[in-house]
Amino acid sequence: MVSSIFMLLVSATLFCMSALTLWWMLHAWRTPEILEGTRFVPSDGAHSLSFSLLVPARHEQEVLRHTIERLLETDYPDYEILVIVGHDDPETAEVAARLAEEHPEQVRVVTDTHAVKNKPKALNSALPHCRGRVVGVFDAEDHVHPDLLSHVDHAFRGDADVVQGGVQLINFHSSWYSLRNCLEYFFWFRSRLHLHASRGFIPLGGNTVFVRTEVLRQAGGWDEQCLAEDCDLGVRLSSQGAKVVVAYDSAMVTREETPDTLYGLLRQRTRWNQGFLQVYRKKDWKQLPTVRQRLLARWTLSTPFLQAFSGVVIPLDVALALFGHLRVSVALASFLPVVPTLATFAFEAVALHDFGLQYGLRVRPWHYVKLIVGGPFYQVVLAAAALRAVWREGRGQRGWELTRHVGAHLTEGA
Amino acid sequence: MTTVLDTLAGAATTEAPAPAAPSRRRRDLWTALAVTLPVLIVQAWNITGYPTVSDDEGTYLAQAWSVQHWHGLAPYTYWYDHPPLGWIQIAMLSWLPALFSSPAHVFTAEMRVVMIPVTAACCLLLFVLARRLGLARWAAGLGVLLFGLSPLSVGLQRELFLDNFAVLWILAALVLAASPRRHLWHHISSGLAAGAAVLSKETMLVALPALVLLLWQRSDRTTRKFSLVGFGSAFALTVAQYPLYALLKNELLPGTGHVSLWGGIAFQLGRAGSGSLLTSGTGSNQTLNSWLYYDHVLIVAGLAAAVAMVASRQLRAVACAVLLFTAVAVRPDAGYLPAMYIIQVLPFLALCIAATAQVLVRTGLHAFPRVGLRPVRWAAVGAVAVLAAGYVVPHWYEGDRTAVTADANAQYDRAVQWIRADIPDPARTRIVVDDAMWLDLVHDGFKPGTGVIWFYKVDLDPAVAHGFPKGWRSLDYIVSTPTLRQDPNSLPTVEQALTHSTVIASFGSGTNLIQIRKIDKSS
Repeated sequence: MVSSIFMLLVSATLFCMSALTLWWMLHAWRTPEILEGTRFVPSDGAHSLSFSLLVPARHEQEVLRHTIERLLETDYPDYEILVIVGHDDPETAEVAARLAEEHPEQVRVVTDTHAVKNKPKALNSALPHCRGRVVGVFDAEDHVHPDLLSHVDHAFRGDADVVQGGVQLINFHSSWYSLRNCLEYFFWFRSRLHLHASRGFIPLGGNTVFVRTEVLRQAGGWDEQCLAEDCDLGVRLSSQGAKVVVAYDSAMVTREETPDTLYGLLRQRTRWNQGFLQVYRKKDWKQLPTVRQRLLARWTLSTPFLQAFSGVVIPLDVALALFGHLRVSVALASFLPVVPTLATFAFEAVALHDFGLQYGLRVRPWHYVKLIVGGPFYQVVLAAAALRAVWREGRGQRGWELTRHVGAHLTEGA
Repeated sequence: MTTVLDTLAGAATTEAPAPAAPSRRRRDLWTALAVTLPVLIVQAWNITGYPTVSDDEGTYLAQAWSVQHWHGLAPYTYWYDHPPLGWIQIAMLSWLPALFSSPAHVFTAEMRVVMIPVTAACCLLLFVLARRLGLARWAAGLGVLLFGLSPLSVGLQRELFLDNFAVLWILAALVLAASPRRHLWHHISSGLAAGAAVLSKETMLVALPALVLLLWQRSDRTTRKFSLVGFGSAFALTVAQYPLYALLKNELLPGTGHVSLWGGIAFQLGRAGSGSLLTSGTGSNQTLNSWLYYDHVLIVAGLAAAVAMVASRQLRAVACAVLLFTAVAVRPDAGYLPAMYIIQVLPFLALCIAATAQVLVRTGLHAFPRVGLRPVRWAAVGAVAVLAAGYVVPHWYEGDRTAVTADANAQYDRAVQWIRADIPDPARTRIVVDDAMWLDLVHDGFKPGTGVIWFYKVDLDPAVAHGFPKGWRSLDYIVSTPTLRQDPNSLPTVEQALTHSTVIASFGSGTNLIQIRKIDKSS
C-alpha cells in the first residue's frame, strides 16, 4: 500500500514535470498569432540608434577575420566593432590589430589585462570604451546577418531595454549529438525564450544580445565570477523590471556550431549548469515582483538538475511498473510520465522537419531515426553534465572551460 | 459549387478568431438551452418504462457495478469484449439515479437516469459544433431538435449503451478541433477526447478520418504540423492505455489459460456476420428495418443531406463521418451489425439535415437577388417548412408518444419483485438470469457471479462452469426471458436446466413472457 502511494506520487510528479516542460517548449506554436508575434517586425529603414558590437576573441585567430569581415558587411550607418583580446594571446591580437588597421573607422581593439581570463571579464574591459547607445555581444565564430542591426534598431522602438535575437546551431548533420543540440537551440530560441520575455523573467543568451549602454552600465556590467554571465545578466535586468524583446527570424539568426566533440559538449553544458546554479544561489531572482515569476525563475534555473533527475527516475519508474508486481492500476499510473516523454519525441520530430524547412536544409529519414534513438543517450549526457556541475560547484572549481570552435557552420551556412 | 454552398450557408465568418460579442454569446446560450430542454423532457419522461431493458444494458451496468466495488472491470473474467471506459463512466455517474430511484422498477431501467446528463452534454456540444461549422443559430437549434427528438434517438439514447458515451466524446473532439482560436491546447484536448471516445466504444474509430479532416481544415497553415502531431500523440497515447493494461496483465496476446486483448478483438471482428444490410431477410437488414421503423426521416433525409454536404467545405467533415459509417455498414463482407451502431451516426445525420435546411432557406430567400419579391420568397420558404413539418411531426409524435407512455418493462419489474419476495435464503441459492436483472438480485442478497449467474457464463466461461461440477443439477432456479430463449441450441446446460425445471411464476405473454422456473434436481 505504502509503495503504491509512493509510486503514484512519484509518477504524478514526473508527469507534471515533463508535461510542463513540454508545454513551455511549445510556447511559440500555441496559436498562429503567437507564432506571428515571435518574428522581427520588418524594419522601416529609419536608423535611430548607434551600436557598439563587442567580440571577445581568445585563441580564435583562425575564425576571427572571417567573423569580423562578415560583421563589416552589416548594412547599418552607425556602429563600431570592439574586438577584445587577451594580453597573453599574441596570435589573436595580431589578427585583431590588422583588422583595426584596415578599418580604422569601425574596428577597435581592446586588450583585457586580467590575470585569469573569462568572458565576462573581457566584456567588462570593453564596456567603458563603448561609444554606441546600444551594446551588442557576438562570439568570435558567429555568422551574423547584414540586416540584423536594422531589425534590432526597430525592435528597440517603444520602451525595450534589451533585445535578444535568435541564435541557431546549424551543423545538425555532424554527429548524433549535434542533431539534438541543434534542436535544443531551435526550441529554446524559437519558442521558449518568447515565453520568458512575455512573463518578465528571462535568462539571456550569450550572444546576439543587445542592451542599452546606460542600462548595462547602471547594472554594473557582467558578473565576473559567474560561469553563465549571460543568464545572470538577464536575470538581474528582468528582476529590476527591464523590458526584454525576443525576436526570431530564420533569415536573421546568428549561426553557430555545436561543440566538436562529445566531451566538449559535456564541458560546455557543465559550465552552463554550474552557471545556472550560481545564478540560482545569488538570489537576484527573489526581487521579481510576482510569485509566478519567482516560481518560473526557480524552475528554469533548476531545470538542468530536474532534467537529470527525471532522466534517471523515469526509466526506474517504468522498470518498476513492468517488473515490480504492482497492482495493475498502479502500474498503469506509473506509465503516465512516459506519455509526455513520448509526445516530446513526436514534437521533436516535427520541429526537426520545421527546422529543415526554415533553413533550407535537407533532413533525411535517417536523421529522424538518429533523433529518436539518440534521445535517451543525450539524456545521459545531460544528466552527467548536471552531476558534474554540482560536483564542481561543491568542490569550488569555478574555472572557465572554453569551447573550441572549428568553423563547421561556416561551410554549412550562408 | 463549394463556394456557392458556403456563401449560401453564410459560413465565411469562422476564420477570424475575434471573440464573440457578449450579447451574441448570450443568445447562443439561451437558444442552446431552449432546444436542449424539450429533448431532455422527452427523454426523461418514462425513461424506466420504455424501451424494454436489454441484455447489453444489464451487462454494462453489472460491469460498472464491478468497477465501483473494486471487483475489477467485470463481475466475471474481463475478456476484452469492449474497452472499459464506457462503463467506468456509468460507474462514475451511478450516484445520480439513487437520488430518484424507487424499488418499483428493475434496477437496469432505474439506472438509465445516468443517460440524461449525457444527452444534455451531447445536445449542447452539437449546438456549439453546428455554430462553429458556420450554421445559423436557428439551424443549429434545428439540428439539436432533430438529433434529440427523433423516436429513434429517444429510444436508443435512453439506454445504457457505450455508444452514447462515445458520441459525447467525439462531439467534444469535433468542437475542440473546430475551435476558432486554433489553440494547440484545444487540438491536443481534441485528441484526448477522441481517445476517450474510442475507449468508450471502439467502433468510434470509424469517425476518426472525419475528425482529422476537420482539424486539418481548421488549423492554421503555420501551426498545422504541431496541431496534428499534438492531436495524434494525445489520441494514440490515450488509446495506448488499453493495450498497455492488457500487457501489464499479461493478456495482450493469446495463450493457454487466459483471455487476451487479441482474442477479444478477433472475436468481435470474426463475429458471425449478420449478412448484407441491403439483402432482405438477413440480420443486418432486419436491424436496418427496425431503425427505419422507428424513424426513416432522420436516416433517409440525413443520408441525402450528407451526400449534398460533401460539396460544402464547412460541412465536409461531418458529411464524411456519415458516409464513413454508412460505408462500413454496407461493405460487402460486413460482419456483425449491432442495433446500437446507428447511435454513432445520429448527431451527424441531424447536422447534415440542419445544414441543408439552411442552404435551402438561404437559396429561397436570396437566390437571384435582382428578382426581388420578398414576401413571395418568405411565403414559399414558409410553405415548404410547413409541408416538411406536416410530414415529420405526426410520425415523430406517434413514436415519441409511445416512448413517454408505454410500459415495456412491467414483466421484468414484476418478476424481480416476485423473486425478492418469494425466493428464500438468497445467499445460498443459485439462480440463472439474463444480465438485465442481474444487479437487482445482487442487491437482494444473491452472491454476485456464482449465486446470481449470467446465463451464458454457465456454458461459455470455464471459470464459472468449474464451480458447478454437477452441471445443471448444481443450479436452483432459472429465469426464462426473451433474451435467454433467443439462441437455445448453443448453450446445452441452460437448455437442460430449462427442460428439467417447472414454472413457479409467470409474467407477461407471447414473446415477452418471463417465467421463473425451479430446477428439479431429482429428475
